[in-house]
Amino acid sequence: MSGVLGWIVLGLPLLGALILAFFGATEPPKIVTRLVGCGSIGLAFVLTVAIFLGLVGDNPDERVHVSRLWEWIDIGNIKVDLAIRIDQLSVLMMLVITGVGFLIHVYSTEYMDHEAGYRRFFAEMNFFVFSMLLLVEAANFIFLIVGWAFVGLASYLLIGFYYDRPIAVAAAKKAFVINVIGDVGMVIAAFLLARDLGTLDYTQVFATAPDKLTSGGGVAVAIALLLFVGAAAKSAQVPLHTWLPDAMEGPTPVSALIHAATMVTAGVYLVVRTHVLYELAPVAMDIVAVVGCITLVMAATIAIAQEDIKRVLAWSTVSQIGYMIMGAGLGAYSAGMFHFLTHAFFKALLFLAAGIVIHALAGEQSLDRMGGLRTHLKFAYAAIAIGCLAIAGVPGFAGFFSKDDILAHALARGGLGVTLFVFGSVAALLTAFYMFRLFFRVFVAPRPEGDYEHAPHGAGWAMSAPVAILAVLSIVGGWLQVPFGWHRVTDWLDPVFADSLLKPLEATHAQELATVVVSTCAAFGGILLAWYVFARDPGRRIRAAAAMPHARALLEDAYRFDDVYDELFVDSGRFAGERLRDDVEPLAIQGPIQGVAAGVRGIARGLSWAQSGLVRTYAFAMAAGVVGVAVIFILVRR
Amino acid sequence: MNGVPLGFYLAVSGALMVLGLIGVMTRRNPLLLLLAVELMLNAGNVALVGFSRYWNDTSGQIFALIVMVVAAAEVVIGLGLVVSVFRQHGALDVDEMSELRG
Repeated sequence: MSGVLGWIVLGLPLLGALILAFFGATEPPKIVTRLVGCGSIGLAFVLTVAIFLGLVGDNPDERVHVSRLWEWIDIGNIKVDLAIRIDQLSVLMMLVITGVGFLIHVYSTEYMDHEAGYRRFFAEMNFFVFSMLLLVEAANFIFLIVGWAFVGLASYLLIGFYYDRPIAVAAAKKAFVINVIGDVGMVIAAFLLARDLGTLDYTQVFATAPDKLTSGGGVAVAIALLLFVGAAAKSAQVPLHTWLPDAMEGPTPVSALIHAATMVTAGVYLVVRTHVLYELAPVAMDIVAVVGCITLVMAATIAIAQEDIKRVLAWSTVSQIGYMIMGAGLGAYSAGMFHFLTHAFFKALLFLAAGIVIHALAGEQSLDRMGGLRTHLKFAYAAIAIGCLAIAGVPGFAGFFSKDDILAHALARGGLGVTLFVFGSVAALLTAFYMFRLFFRVFVAPRPEGDYEHAPHGAGWAMSAPVAILAVLSIVGGWLQVPFGWHRVTDWLDPVFADSLLKPLEATHAQELATVVVSTCAAFGGILLAWYVFARDPGRRIRAAAAMPHARALLEDAYRFDDVYDELFVDSGRFAGERLRDDVEPLAIQGPIQGVAAGVRGIARGLSWAQSGLVRTYAFAMAAGVVGVAVIFILVRR
Repeated sequence: MNGVPLGFYLAVSGALMVLGLIGVMTRRNPLLLLLAVELMLNAGNVALVGFSRYWNDTSGQIFALIVMVVAAAEVVIGLGLVVSVFRQHGALDVDEMSELRG
């Protein structure tokens, strides 16, 4: 039953995308687009809830359902089925993808209302949701890679939605190229798995890997690291993170969908899903945790200096995913997934609420052109306040519980974990600081010079309702898992990690208490600091920025990763291309081809006199030829 | 073998062939050109009939009939072309029709 529903959930968004893309040559009425676009995702969400309830009814140890349609590939001893796997982990992902995805679709109906390409937008959004569902529902590595690549394509299409803007097109290409780097890593990892295990099916891979792969051996580490290349590319981890901030060139709902609910968390899902492979390579796990931590701190510092409201949120996403990846790398899989869940709520909330602000200011995204919007946009004010409190980790809000969970596990891990705990806590302070910087500058700081040209207008119900729902979820979502209390998410996911080779991390009460105290202090410290710098005296931030221009410029340019990559890869690639074009191509390729062409032309020129156009000459030549042949025959006969 | 010997047939056939060839090579009017081609075809027919009698095998005569049919068809197309060429150029001279010179 779950299997059939799983296929339908997968098929609905695809169907929606196909209908929208191919039904009719002209733009259909908007109501049709809305119904199909939102309806497919909404229905998928309802069915996902049905699957979830079905799993709840099952025995906790029998909640894995693999549904196989047919055998897709059969080469030698490798068999790949067209199959999906419904279990606790994939259902959790599906709930978020379809649920938050549906809210974002509803929001888009109003946000994109005055944009051209309404139908294209919803077709691409539906395709995106389909790809993401394929990614999480896949029951083997081949389908995972297919979904993985589809997500890359969908993000390319959506980031480049405004295809007449060169910046958007460049951003789309960048995202695609970096995603392909990740795809290559995944494909090579799959090759290694196929070679050493002879199977690509999840169940078999995870069952046989501990026997067939040497723990800590070269192959195990290679597989884990190559998979992580894919995870890092999708989840925007250092050093493959540069595409994500540029991806803000897409429409705001796209940012919310890609950066909050779906794509960027695929890497976390991958690490958690293949946790057995990572546990066989402890070195790789440590690398994952450290990379997550570096990303977390680095992105948090960059977010402080960004002037574009969406870029602040983008860097904040990079940073928050650093938390999840760090959690997964520490072996705190449930904690990582829990943070994924709460993050989906509050980050979607922040993006959509920021979208209301941008919409109200007719597309203005610069923080410098905002300020004092508290009176105009009361709803967005409240929504962003809740989102900021949640992401900053103020007790009672969602982010507090999930972030704590990860940090407490880092402490419990000891050793490297303690270092990560320290950095994670510092990043928590930075998070509170940069989020409230945004909050104060948009809503509290004095209005920009010259005030607003048009009075900012509020949003309609289609934009407000999803934001309101997400705001509620951003508060209550965290209460699924409470320190010293209950652990709903962990309990739910535990059977998935039954095959874990590590002994489960359990934070002691002292460690949980320490985490709660430290992160609460970090959250309030960051908020206070932000208030002091940005709200109390508006001139202070300008003086502070002027006092350290170099540091500020460095942060604003995101540590100049882009420049380095441009120098290293783009410029050298362009140089090589030019050399090949100017030096190699004329000789090696043009030479022979032009030579053949010139030769044929020469021969033809030489013979063209024969075609005189005089029919009688031809007749003569023919007769002479016949006589000649006859003479030869007679002579040879002799 | 009685009647006309094979050599006579072949002599007539050769004569017709040479006449036709000369006609094709010397005439500039496409109508006369067609006539000359017709002569050459019939030279072939005479040879076919002659050999048919020589070997006492009727298939040669059947071939001759087929050649006549083909010749008739060819003339139809040829005359059609001549008419359309005349309409295009207003004059009939094969040497003038040399647009395809390389």
